[in-house]
Amino acid sequence: MVGRQGGHNKGGGRKNENNKIYAHPLPILFSEPPQTSLSHKLNAFLGINDTKVLNPHCHGVLDVATRSVWVTDPKDVRILWTRGFFGKGDLSRSEPSWHARQVNAMKAAAGNYLTSEEIREKRRNERKQFKLDRARALAEAAAEAEAAFVEGREAVLPEIPSGATWKPSAQSAAPEPGDDAPPSADADEVELLEEELLEDVEHMQLTLQEAFFLCWGLDCLTILDPHTSQSLSLQQIWVSLQQAFGIIPSLKPVYTISPEEERFDNPFLVNYAVYHHYRSLGWVVKSGIKFCVDLLLYKRGPVFHHAEFGVLVIPVYEDPADKLSSPYALANADPMSWTWLSTINRVNSQVQKTLVLAYVTIPSSSHVPHHTLSSPACLNHYSVREVVLRRFIPARMRD
Amino acid sequence: MDDLLEQPTTLSIPDSGAERADDANLSSGDEDEGLDWTKLPSSSRPVIPKRGDKDFEPTVHGGSGLQRHVLDRARNAMFEALRAERNTSSKSISHGIWYPNLARTHVTTARGIHFTSMGHSFARASPVSPNGPQQKAVKRLELLPEEAIYLVERGSMFCWKAMDGVDFDDAAGLEDMEGAPMTVQQVFTEMVGTEDLTLEKYHVFSYLKRLGYVVMRTKPPSSAYLTAEPYSPPLGPRSSLVSRLCSSFIALLHRVFGIFKRTSNSWLPSIFHNGFTYPGVFASLRFLPSGHKTPLHIVQLKPEEQSPSPYELFYNVYKPATPFKKTAPPKPDFQITVVNARTTPIPTISELTELFDVLPELPPPVPRRRIPYADQKRQAQEREKAKSASAPGSQPTAPSTAAPSASASASAPASTPSTSANPTLFRRLFSWAWTAPESKPQERKPNPFAVLKQGKKMVVIAAVDSGMISFFSFRQGGFEEFPMA
Repeated sequence: MVGRQGGHNKGGGRKNENNKIYAHPLPILFSEPPQTSLSHKLNAFLGINDTKVLNPHCHGVLDVATRSVWVTDPKDVRILWTRGFFGKGDLSRSEPSWHARQVNAMKAAAGNYLTSEEIREKRRNERKQFKLDRARALAEAAAEAEAAFVEGREAVLPEIPSGATWKPSAQSAAPEPGDDAPPSADADEVELLEEELLEDVEHMQLTLQEAFFLCWGLDCLTILDPHTSQSLSLQQIWVSLQQAFGIIPSLKPVYTISPEEERFDNPFLVNYAVYHHYRSLGWVVKSGIKFCVDLLLYKRGPVFHHAEFGVLVIPVYEDPADKLSSPYALANADPMSWTWLSTINRVNSQVQKTLVLAYVTIPSSSHVPHHTLSSPACLNHYSVREVVLRRFIPARMRD
Repeated sequence: MDDLLEQPTTLSIPDSGAERADDANLSSGDEDEGLDWTKLPSSSRPVIPKRGDKDFEPTVHGGSGLQRHVLDRARNAMFEALRAERNTSSKSISHGIWYPNLARTHVTTARGIHFTSMGHSFARASPVSPNGPQQKAVKRLELLPEEAIYLVERGSMFCWKAMDGVDFDDAAGLEDMEGAPMTVQQVFTEMVGTEDLTLEKYHVFSYLKRLGYVVMRTKPPSSAYLTAEPYSPPLGPRSSLVSRLCSSFIALLHRVFGIFKRTSNSWLPSIFHNGFTYPGVFASLRFLPSGHKTPLHIVQLKPEEQSPSPYELFYNVYKPATPFKKTAPPKPDFQITVVNARTTPIPTISELTELFDVLPELPPPVPRRRIPYADQKRQAQEREKAKSASAPGSQPTAPSTAAPSASASASAPASTPSTSANPTLFRRLFSWAWTAPESKPQERKPNPFAVLKQGKKMVVIAAVDSGMISFFSFRQGGFEEFPMA
């Protein structure tokens, strides 16, 4: 697990490295046979495309209580993260990096490979230090101006540090991330032993939408039942994922669905339609809970650039009678207020993201027969359309 | 934002316009500042001082002498400005008569430049006078209620209320009057509520007018009110019998061949039928209907049960720089709907679709012109040369400019096609086969992010909450046309 390097080798080196690691947008790989081989030439003559598809065949365990699929095999975790940015470490910010952080914390030579959590801590400490310096300088300046006013002379003001030019002072001011034990020879040996014995207790979790996309759309993930460790058939997965959002919460996967709960407005189906739509357009889709939205869209991935768009899923019932008879209370289905919209728009403007409202239409149960719900073919009846929302400032738009 | 903290000083230095690095569309700095009336030329007018920045945090011991002094000075300046009386010279004021039954103000004396963008002429027959036959219809300048309120509030117009049955010419000493004089408060009370005007709509109207825009109504309240041509959506594909037969036949063919191509059922979508590449896989996963072109099948309530949508285009707004003629208004720069933020929820997709249907499409955003590095260097050197040309001794710059200009001229012929001079006979004969090489400069494809953020159609919705206006632009998004893979 390679975290980002901090400090040296910035810019070109890191970008090239990221381009190499995260080169594939999906977990499946295509291998072109060597151009000069005879069989390839024969196939080309006959018009047969013999590109082979390499499927990693990852495995995950369904956990209904957390509504996620757990992936524990380190190889699978790495494949799913680097090819498409699927999933999230449950003890980490995004990429599973708990083990690397623990190892760094034990080693005295922390700072060579900083994980993103460590970079974040360092950045927060530096900012705290900057704020303290600035507050002190401002207080001095105020005292000086006050004294000058009383005496009736001009004030000579000290310099107030600005965010752009402040540099962190001696390292003693900022605490090291995590480590304050001085190294010694014995400690090194002990640490090595501990490191080998340290078990990685972190797993990667896929949301149910990501898991279904991998399992049904790309056919590269096998989902196992948590208790029997049997691999589930697509039929069972389809039903249990819907049932996971059912009215009566359960801790075990349920493979039958009651007629009241088998509806077009099941939250899993509604959210999956939007997830699939943006994934199929090539965007990397991650959870948007940090910014009050449902989804974040990245062009290539979180390691390359910040997300450009924050998507709010707004379900629209084609038949209002369906809404009245529904046991599910879908979020954002009722007409919302302007204060709600202003709040979310303000949060997203602060972080330079554009807010997109994605309206999902839920098919009317009177027009579409009920049996389509037994297979993913029902997804053909949903539709997604977007409205981009921005604040409009007439004072700036005059030209 | 940190860099803009003002240092405490003994003198009040006006804010020297520190540049803010925020994105133009996202910060609200301009809106939240008070009006800047420091630009008024004459010193007799009241001057509202610009607001300064706040201190970072209050001092420990409470208000100090310096802080109190600065506060007092700022407060006094504000009070002085408010205390001053606003007046208009009688030579520049216009006069109008308000007719409540018509909901219009007839302008008797028009002065000033406001009337180039406000008011419309209406041919009205004067009332039948008992003396003679009915007089011919006479064209006169009339104002809508919001325009009248704006002018009165501004101090450029004085409004009378029409009083029937009173002839002012007869009464002695009352020749100047044209009706009962109206106060500003009376103008507001009488005119708000007539002709679809609400207080929220008036707020938006006056805000935009003060910024310099020209604001007209979208729906003409009468036939005499000239508005821009409403947008007519382009006709759909010809629905002749032949084309319909063709399209249904083609659809049948697609379905027949589709059966052969996709042997899969819905449990195993075939993702490789577009080729063994990543773009192919993504393309074959795109089966979900999407975009605003797919029809919206929302079951509508019966017309009598359905309340009219509050979202209807109300104002056409023109930017100050647009040449505007009252008699032939051009296409509006943007169109606005005004709602009360507390009582109306955000628009549903059906309301938005209805709005988008009557709006024109926006042109794609112009891509930023990228100047090649050699030209940039040359321009910078030319600028320096121009600066130092005034001073003698511009010798050293001459050879440096000679070098890049030589390189520029060397690259220039390479870019223009070599066959531009003396085309051969063959080329001339078959000139229709060759497209002109220098027909147009290399057009850059627009940046996909810029296109996605601008959207295809835009409607501006102003949500007014007790006088605070928030403008939001809702744009029709087209993500399905710009896949990332």
